Amino acid sequence: MELEVDENDLKAAGAVIFVDGGRRSINIHGWLIESRRHSILNSSTVQEWEKKLKTSHLPEMVFGENTLILKHLNSGTKIHFNAFDALCGWKQEALPPVEVPAAAKWKFRSKPFEEVILDYDYTFTTPYCGSGAIEIDKDLNGRKISEETGNVHWEDCKEQIDLIALASKEPILFYDEVVLYEDELADNGVSLLTVKVRVMPSSWFLLLQFWLRVDGVLIRLRETRMHYVFGGSTNPVVLRESCWRESTFQALSAKGHPFDSAAYNDPSIISQKLPIVKRTTQKLVISS
Amino acid sequence: MSDLDRQIEQLKRCEPLKESEVKALCLKAIEILVEESNVQRVDAPVTICGDIHGQFYDMKELFKVGGDCPKTNYLFLGDFVDRGFYSVETFLLLLALKVRYPDRITLIRGNHESRQITQVYGFYDECLRKYGSVNVWRYCTDIFDYLSLSALIENKIFSVHGGLSPAISTLDQIRTIDRKQEVPHDGAMCDLLWSDPEDIVDGWGLSPRGAGFLFGGSVVTSFNHSNNIDYICRAHQLVMEGYKWMFNNQIVTVWSAPNYCYRCGNVAAILELDGNLNKQFRVFDAAPQESRGAPAKKPAPDYFL
Repeated sequence: MELEVDENDLKAAGAVIFVDGGRRSINIHGWLIESRRHSILNSSTVQEWEKKLKTSHLPEMVFGENTLILKHLNSGTKIHFNAFDALCGWKQEALPPVEVPAAAKWKFRSKPFEEVILDYDYTFTTPYCGSGAIEIDKDLNGRKISEETGNVHWEDCKEQIDLIALASKEPILFYDEVVLYEDELADNGVSLLTVKVRVMPSSWFLLLQFWLRVDGVLIRLRETRMHYVFGGSTNPVVLRESCWRESTFQALSAKGHPFDSAAYNDPSIISQKLPIVKRTTQKLVISS
Repeated sequence: MSDLDRQIEQLKRCEPLKESEVKALCLKAIEILVEESNVQRVDAPVTICGDIHGQFYDMKELFKVGGDCPKTNYLFLGDFVDRGFYSVETFLLLLALKVRYPDRITLIRGNHESRQITQVYGFYDECLRKYGSVNVWRYCTDIFDYLSLSALIENKIFSVHGGLSPAISTLDQIRTIDRKQEVPHDGAMCDLLWSDPEDIVDGWGLSPRGAGFLFGGSVVTSFNHSNNIDYICRAHQLVMEGYKWMFNNQIVTVWSAPNYCYRCGNVAAILELDGNLNKQFRVFDAAPQESRGAPAKKPAPDYFL
């Protein structure tokens, strides 16, 4: 998703962009923001992950090397997104499986001899809202290495992300969308975890989105937004808002919305129709 | 040049046919398909292909690697449509080749060759967009009901889109299915198009969705033994490496949509069998960007909130 960016806009913002194969980054106001996009994991790496995660099932498409990293260089604050940590969250939450509509009929089918019923959460629902660390770059005999020295600390807060400011059409200097994992639920819907980021002269903004549609049954949308305004106060903060929405198809159609799955292809269009089940707002203070 | 040959040339350029031409083509195709068995006999040499999913330009790569039809004899294991951008052109080209060279190409049904699935996963919308009406979708989905359910190569290799069914232990049981209908939600016909092999069960497993069978190694061993076949060749599941053997080479998955959904970065494969059933997998990449007709447009800035 190469975006055409005006060189003058970049220069005026004091930003520099690097592109190298599947890696793209922007250096702006002391932040290094980098996205990496690669292929899905091959079969042998999938097996390694299954072992590490103690599971026999992973999403059909795990973009295991895809990532989005936002690093505040002075403080070493690093916020990043990856499929592995998200799948750790899935393992931990371990929701019970959701039955598809055909299951009702299947209950009356004659059972094969010694049938094993699998019961993992095939929707890969995750509470993941990003990973974080304090990471200091060190110079080791001329070689630069990064060392994790601590965790980031998110605290609950009252401030909210300024969506009105974000709606203004200032130029986008850097944009990317990174898929972390995806599953077609064996053609029973979609489970998709993505993160997208846009960087403007005044701020960066990102949206991590878990989107689930089990056809005829359930829609689940878990979104986390983060926003950071460049050069604001002396104690700059990253604001993080998580909003979980969920509804059954039945509840949607009872409210007069369509029942067919084809009407629910784009989460941004239907999100407002879905009731909120959980909402949190937090901030992360960037120490200078 | 006959009308049909002209239509094939046109489809090879990824240009769809007129609605009236599609209608006529489908009528001819039904005459051929209605005669086919649920377990269609196929002679070797033959090249077996897995899911295509409307990735027209990647299917052209497939023909580059495997050779043109009719010079190469082909067996396609279904899932021609949905998800990719060119389901219409992909399916019509395969269907036109079937009508032109009925003995040199065999098309069997995948779970996406269904009215219900195509309404959710792309083919219906694509027909509506390209023709302004759903007539072409109706003609094509009527054809889907006539597609055979499986193939048997030289009595030795059983080919099916999904997999096995606990309701089926012999090929004769497949032969008795009345296939001319929408894919049902349960039963033998549904299982053949939907089920998956699964490592962690030995016998039968039920998907956590509450519908959908999984079958283990011992199920495959006993099916192959009682039907005197060497192995099963199926499609239906994405494989990063293009093909994958399971259960001690008793079943192989073949996947023929490279860079699936235009972002997975996987390779694709086809399985070539010579006259003596010797196997050779041919692995191939997605078509290069410049051969895909219209260049990829730079997207407009996305002011997501």
